[in-house]
Amino acid sequence: MKLRNTACIVFLVFLSVLFLAPIFIVLMNSFKGQFYITDAPFVLPSKETFAGITNYLNGIKKTDFIGAFFRSLFITVVSVFAILLFSSMAAWYMARKDDKLSKIIYYSFIISMTVPFQMVMFTMSKTANTLGLETPIGITVLYLGFGAGLSVFMFSGFIKSIPKQLEEAAAIDGCGPIKTFFSVIFPILRPTAITVSILNAMWIWNDYLLPYLVIGNEYKTIPIAVQYLQGGYGSRDMGALMAMLVLAIIPIVIFYLISQKYIIKGVIAGAVKG
Amino acid sequence: MKKRFISFILLSAIAVSTMLIFTSCGKKSDNEIYFLNFKPEIAEKYEEISKTYEAITGIKVKFSTAAANTYEQTLKSEIAKKDAPTIFQINGPIGYETWKNYCADLTDTQLYSILSDKTLAIKGEDGKVYGIPYVIEAYGIICNLSKFDEYFALTNRQTEINSFEEITDFYSLRTVVEDMTLHLDELSIKGVFGSTSLLSGEDWRWQTHLANIPFYLEAKEQNYNVGTGVEEFKFTHNVKMKNLFDLYINNSVTERSLLGSKSVSDSMAEFALGQCAMIQNGNWAWAQIKDVSGNTVKESDVRFLPLYNGGSDDSDMGLCIGTENYICINKNASEEDQKRAADFLYWLYSSTDGKKFVTEQLEFLTPFNTFNADETPSDPLAKEINRWLSDTEKVSVPWHFVAFPGTSFKNDFGSALLRYAQGSITWEDVVNTVKTRWKEETAKAR
Amino acid sequence: MYKRFSRYFPIFVLPILAAFIISFAVPFVMGIYLSFCDFTTVSDARFIGLENYKEAFGESFTHSLWYTALFSLASVITVNLAAFFLARLLTRGFKGTNFFRTVFFMPNLIGGIVLGYIWQIIINGILRYYGVDITFYEAYGFLGLLVLTNWQLIGYMMIIYVAGLQNIPGELREAAAIDGATASMELKHITLPLVMPSITVCTFLTLTNTFKLFDQNLALTAGAPNRRSAMLALDIYNTFYGGVGSEGVGQAKAVIFTLILGAIALLQLYLTKRRERDV
Repeated sequence: MKLRNTACIVFLVFLSVLFLAPIFIVLMNSFKGQFYITDAPFVLPSKETFAGITNYLNGIKKTDFIGAFFRSLFITVVSVFAILLFSSMAAWYMARKDDKLSKIIYYSFIISMTVPFQMVMFTMSKTANTLGLETPIGITVLYLGFGAGLSVFMFSGFIKSIPKQLEEAAAIDGCGPIKTFFSVIFPILRPTAITVSILNAMWIWNDYLLPYLVIGNEYKTIPIAVQYLQGGYGSRDMGALMAMLVLAIIPIVIFYLISQKYIIKGVIAGAVKG
Repeated sequence: MKKRFISFILLSAIAVSTMLIFTSCGKKSDNEIYFLNFKPEIAEKYEEISKTYEAITGIKVKFSTAAANTYEQTLKSEIAKKDAPTIFQINGPIGYETWKNYCADLTDTQLYSILSDKTLAIKGEDGKVYGIPYVIEAYGIICNLSKFDEYFALTNRQTEINSFEEITDFYSLRTVVEDMTLHLDELSIKGVFGSTSLLSGEDWRWQTHLANIPFYLEAKEQNYNVGTGVEEFKFTHNVKMKNLFDLYINNSVTERSLLGSKSVSDSMAEFALGQCAMIQNGNWAWAQIKDVSGNTVKESDVRFLPLYNGGSDDSDMGLCIGTENYICINKNASEEDQKRAADFLYWLYSSTDGKKFVTEQLEFLTPFNTFNADETPSDPLAKEINRWLSDTEKVSVPWHFVAFPGTSFKNDFGSALLRYAQGSITWEDVVNTVKTRWKEETAKAR
Repeated sequence: MYKRFSRYFPIFVLPILAAFIISFAVPFVMGIYLSFCDFTTVSDARFIGLENYKEAFGESFTHSLWYTALFSLASVITVNLAAFFLARLLTRGFKGTNFFRTVFFMPNLIGGIVLGYIWQIIINGILRYYGVDITFYEAYGFLGLLVLTNWQLIGYMMIIYVAGLQNIPGELREAAAIDGATASMELKHITLPLVMPSITVCTFLTLTNTFKLFDQNLALTAGAPNRRSAMLALDIYNTFYGGVGSEGVGQAKAVIFTLILGAIALLQLYLTKRRERDV
């Protein structure tokens, strides 16, 4: 039994190395000169091929990575905040009101979850343009709309399990719906709120096509910056690409290590309900 | 509890109001025109021009650049927007067919008045001018003379050809190339030609530039009216393209099966680092070659050879000279913006400051009569173009590939070439792909 | 409960409803309509009936349909087997379980575009030893995407399986062990039936995720060779933005794509409901 356990652990360690290897390979190549990468990606940088941080400097300059980072951060934070607030409010109202209109709206939200983005990408970019939503702020409105399905669904599930007595007590104390929601309901929603923020943050941070179509030409987010680096009429720079991949991964890893517990919990909750 | 409640209300109020405020603005200011640039390699230089021009006139020119191979796609989504580009470009008659609903009449513009050869402009069926070329470019085979000198100095070479000047047609070229391949070590090169970059999006040197040769020969024979598009491409001279293409991929730095991961910058770097003796590319490549760190190619060693292909007129051939960059002004922009756009373009190609940018920064050879003989870029490839042009016996090959049907034809052509290089399909298959896809795409466009 | 609760509708529901209508509902309805039209922008649409749908089933679409279906099937099997296997290992109470979980899950957080380029360099690096690269056969793109998807999704599914396995009461297994059940009997009669809900969830998550795959496909192969490795989402994107004049066909393909995903969702709903009834 003990022997088997040791074997298992050895296997798991081996697997972990395998899982982390791709990231290390990219990290390693990001320090090599741009013409030494495609030919020998698994070779450590040598004296001849070592490029220091040139790739990082080139990449940051070519893609305006700093700008892209802050745009990504801004869009993600604002969108997540908006989704959190408005979807919880809507979910509570609709669960309590429970009339025909609420049901129609609720099920429209649910249906939207199954529709692939390609279905609406063209027409959505047109409406976004007509309404002038082609800014880092405007795009958060779009994310609010696209995030509505999953978020309302998750909040609703939780709200239905909250006993109504709590709210009734608050109502007797003279609280209106707004006050009741924010002082009684919203604090209880905390665990679901964390899940909802994490699921939405992961999606919005990494999203490529929506921002590419709507604001990509003027305001590049990180995925767009990485993709942009790929094409550049005859000036594809592998070194800069490797460096930008590393820079794109770093914030995610930091965020993950800090809030790992919540992320994993959130993913489980999201999966089981979704 | 109360505090938290209030702060939430406040925060949400702020959120909503900022959304409303920001969404309602973000429109362009009145003094701004929008230039959708085609050439990513000079995107940064345009920014400087924009700053200078704003300082002089107070008009802001916003430059935006599409990533490689996405210009049509970007233009398509941008032009449908409210703040559509004021200035954009088309790649020739086929591009004009696609975008004619957006092209303003440029007949009376100052820019047209300074165009040296008026036949170069793109004209509509009504005879009016809708696109004006703004740069003249040439491509051919770029050679590093020092490698040839080393080769001709070899005592054990097995060719009758004794100097670079004796390479005057495809057969002399092939003889030299194939013998050079036998002496790679002595020449300290990895291959005679730089990698034939066939990575998707990096294959335009072959599916347009090289393919221009058979199309040009056919068009000449059949009297095609290239300006209005050609319905059927018979590809009768495909062998001439194959001649050169085979020479490239069989005498290359990279094994032919691996060419699908090579980009243009890879092969430019190979040339710059002295790993190969030749590459096919245009004069725009010099900027890229000289910027490669560790560049070993001396300016005085750079030569252009025409795309000798085994045709009967090889020895009379010059470089492929032309343009696929025609500037257009968006007809749907306001009168005022159209005027501003025309003013800016005229300034760029006629004023002292503008011309300085064009020759020194953008390094364009232009088709405008405002440029004096000494106002040309000083790079070795530009000099080579002038050398070839001054030889009156040589016939330059026009850029007929601008009449190739859309991007998807070119992409399919490119991937067929890749699969041919990899050995998965035969040359016959490539020829058939080209012929059928050509027909399909022209049919679609009509 | 409240007097005139409906008065609060504008505050509670309207903001998100408005955003939903702008970003989803209106584009969705327009999209359906436009799939029956010939158009280059929304304003020049001309009704042409079913033409787009006839044209949609061209070679590239049917090929990508099969390619996607096969790919999803392969992913569902490999990802879930591997994830379940890992979950079993990690629920044995080893030291360092948390560390392994952290490592295996991490790739899931990295975005599709970044993932695509990471694997492009690695896969091309390996294939170089055989003198080819990923653009050589569509099968290489397929395998590349499969490896990538496994790397990305195994950790995610593993977490869900771990949660499922941890819900199985320990006494059940002990009881089975006392009754002399072998490991495979225990797996078959106790563990598998009890983690069935997790299996359904994971299967459908993998299925929909891989069916909708776009970013990874774009970055890894971009459809090379010759769009043979383009999956549905990429094929639709190419139809829309690859040239002028085929927007209607692209929209029709998108509607078909929507119907396929809708059918998958309904199937999942049905299976989940049926199980709930059975229990």
